[in-house]
Amino acid sequence: MKKFLASLLVSAMALTLAACGGNPSSPSNGSNPSSGSGTTGGGDKTTINVIISQYGNYTQEWWTQFEKDFEAANDTVDLNIEIVSWNDIYSVVSTRIQSKQQPDILNISGFADYVADDLLMQATEYTSEEVQKKIIPSFWESNAIDGTVWALPILASCRSLFCNMDLLNEAGVTAPPTTWDEVLTACQAVKDKHGDAIVPWGLDISNDEGQAAFSYYSWNFGGGFVDGNGDWALNSDANVQAVEYIKKLIDSGYCNSAPYTDTRYPLQDAFSAGTLAMMIGPMNMVAADSTVNYQSVNIPGNGVGLGVCDQLMVFKNDAAPDQAARTEAIKAFFDFFYDCERYSDYMVFEGFLPATLDSSDNLAANAEKYKVGGSDATGNSEYFKTFCAQLPDCQFYPMQKAEWMDVRNGVIEVEQQVCQGQISAKDALDNLQANIAG
Amino acid sequence: MKENPKPHSIKKNSKPRSIKKNPKPRTLLNKRAIEPYIWLLPSIIMMGVLILVPIITVFQTSFSKISKAGVNKGFAKLDNYLWIFKQPAFRRTLMNTIVWTVVVVGVSTILGIILGLVLNEKFHGRKIVRAIVVFPWATALIIQSVIWKYIINADYGALNTLLLKLGIIKSNVNWTATPQMFFAWECFVGILVTVPFVTFCVLSGLQSIDASLYEAAEVDGASFWNKLFRVTLPLLMPSLTVSTVLNIIYVFNSFPIVWTISKGDPADMTHTLVTYLYKLSFTNQRVGEAAAVSVIGFMILAVCASIYMFMTLRAEKED
Repeated sequence: MKKFLASLLVSAMALTLAACGGNPSSPSNGSNPSSGSGTTGGGDKTTINVIISQYGNYTQEWWTQFEKDFEAANDTVDLNIEIVSWNDIYSVVSTRIQSKQQPDILNISGFADYVADDLLMQATEYTSEEVQKKIIPSFWESNAIDGTVWALPILASCRSLFCNMDLLNEAGVTAPPTTWDEVLTACQAVKDKHGDAIVPWGLDISNDEGQAAFSYYSWNFGGGFVDGNGDWALNSDANVQAVEYIKKLIDSGYCNSAPYTDTRYPLQDAFSAGTLAMMIGPMNMVAADSTVNYQSVNIPGNGVGLGVCDQLMVFKNDAAPDQAARTEAIKAFFDFFYDCERYSDYMVFEGFLPATLDSSDNLAANAEKYKVGGSDATGNSEYFKTFCAQLPDCQFYPMQKAEWMDVRNGVIEVEQQVCQGQISAKDALDNLQANIAG
Repeated sequence: MKENPKPHSIKKNSKPRSIKKNPKPRTLLNKRAIEPYIWLLPSIIMMGVLILVPIITVFQTSFSKISKAGVNKGFAKLDNYLWIFKQPAFRRTLMNTIVWTVVVVGVSTILGIILGLVLNEKFHGRKIVRAIVVFPWATALIIQSVIWKYIINADYGALNTLLLKLGIIKSNVNWTATPQMFFAWECFVGILVTVPFVTFCVLSGLQSIDASLYEAAEVDGASFWNKLFRVTLPLLMPSLTVSTVLNIIYVFNSFPIVWTISKGDPADMTHTLVTYLYKLSFTNQRVGEAAAVSVIGFMILAVCASIYMFMTLRAEKED
């Protein structure tokens, strides 16, 4: 009996190990969304695996319906859509790439690292001319490296200055500030009037989005990440001024007490609750049930907003048995997704701005036709009209440059070091420029 | 109730081995010698898969050049280690890790001994107090860390609100104004969640001490302090050794407290090795370098584990 049990256990272990140790690069039957990609699944279907970033609590709901509709319209394609949270998506994708199980289509922010490793297909290989014409030209070009476009914009948002007008008026400030000096004056007025009860200026220089803060201030002091030639110009005089200004805001006691660890989310909550007077944030930052009387205006200084645009990209898959069928299926996916009605619906559902011309026009007139995710509320045409008009004035992160991730982390470190008084803004930015540009 | 053995089984077992009929004695002997290993095999395979394979993979990765996208570009020699040792943040992190481990383990051991001694005394409501002491231990670290992060927040935290209402402070105090203050709070939370473990190790140790030893000491006129230092603490040493060494390993590897409260910020000033390697890997996408930090941490812990094994084996030998 003992012998029998022992052999049974050993056999079970061996089987388990054999099951765990499958060859990751071998073609799969496409039944698992995280398994080998671009393969021919059961029957004659082409399997397409997609990873989508989770933008809200209802992202899964929209994409589940999309998957059903797409498969109904394309019976030769087996579409597998996986929703991954922003907290995990980079590690998930990195692990999949290491085990050669990258998805066919990925929605993420940033693509230069994948291009550097020759993992992506060129956008013109899998997008129809119709889709190419739809995409707002500046977005199409922002995804190009040396003239080659590697990704498509999935959605956009822009950041502007939000002011609680009741708090400002009570403090004697009648209009939102338009210059950086006016910001300081308004902050002092709020502080004098409301004391500790109200935080005058919301600041997030945390690891979460400290690079966004650098963008707001550097662009609007006349600097930025790159110069006119597209070369890194991190230690420009304007950037030094911008970082010194951030330090001044903190040292004057105008900001939230933990700008090094406060992400924008608690700040947005504080603004929506009426305990924060001013902050720069995305256009959908105020909670739907907030009663705050606010105005959204251009960021002080040069009035340059931060445009955020995430991408959809397609990975190569040399192991796919039928490359032509795979490319056709991917092309069908994008035709289906960027369809004006469907894409407009997704934008209202998630609360973002469209990256296509036809949807921009459509939502500026008919946003009320579409529902907001997780509620019975509908879109607001005026909202889309206002923010879509701001998009052309927005600048974007230079994500097409291979060093972007190092620059992103570098500017956050600069902000934190300078604001802690460990090093001067000039020295910190000089060091960063030397590290990045050599 | 224990059953009496059956007569025929006694007869069978009582047969001398030498006269038992066995056509192939050597084969049977071999089988019997192998049998324990067959039983152990599943555990050995599981350990191999779940422990050895990840360790080997981390070592391999630490000597590999991994691109930001996650592609292995081949052997990197010692580049990842050299890069790590050049980083001021790494040196600071190493120092933080030592401070973090020594302070949390040291202070919680002292507090745990005091609490253990108190809880060993008989008093009204002792069971309730013991249950309260267990709470921080029984609650998930991540939950406690998040709660403490909100308690100490200067703008909307409960601590300032409470102190303001009690009239102890007149305006909000920024409890995390400097990296040192951040780190001190993290150590405080670390101590809070570690004390219960030490307390219960001490309690179990105290309950195994024979009461006659105290009676004998009292007859000899020993004071409270004499009994504490000459009877209690020497007899508690085995329990304290186990709790201290295990705590060193747990605290050294602790991730949720530091990551939840400060994420190693401001300016990477409050990292411990574990949070630093997490940031390198998952924020900065430097997987090879993160693996190198992991190997360094593993080596440090291997030394601690060796000390623990040495002490355990020595104690067993003495017994």
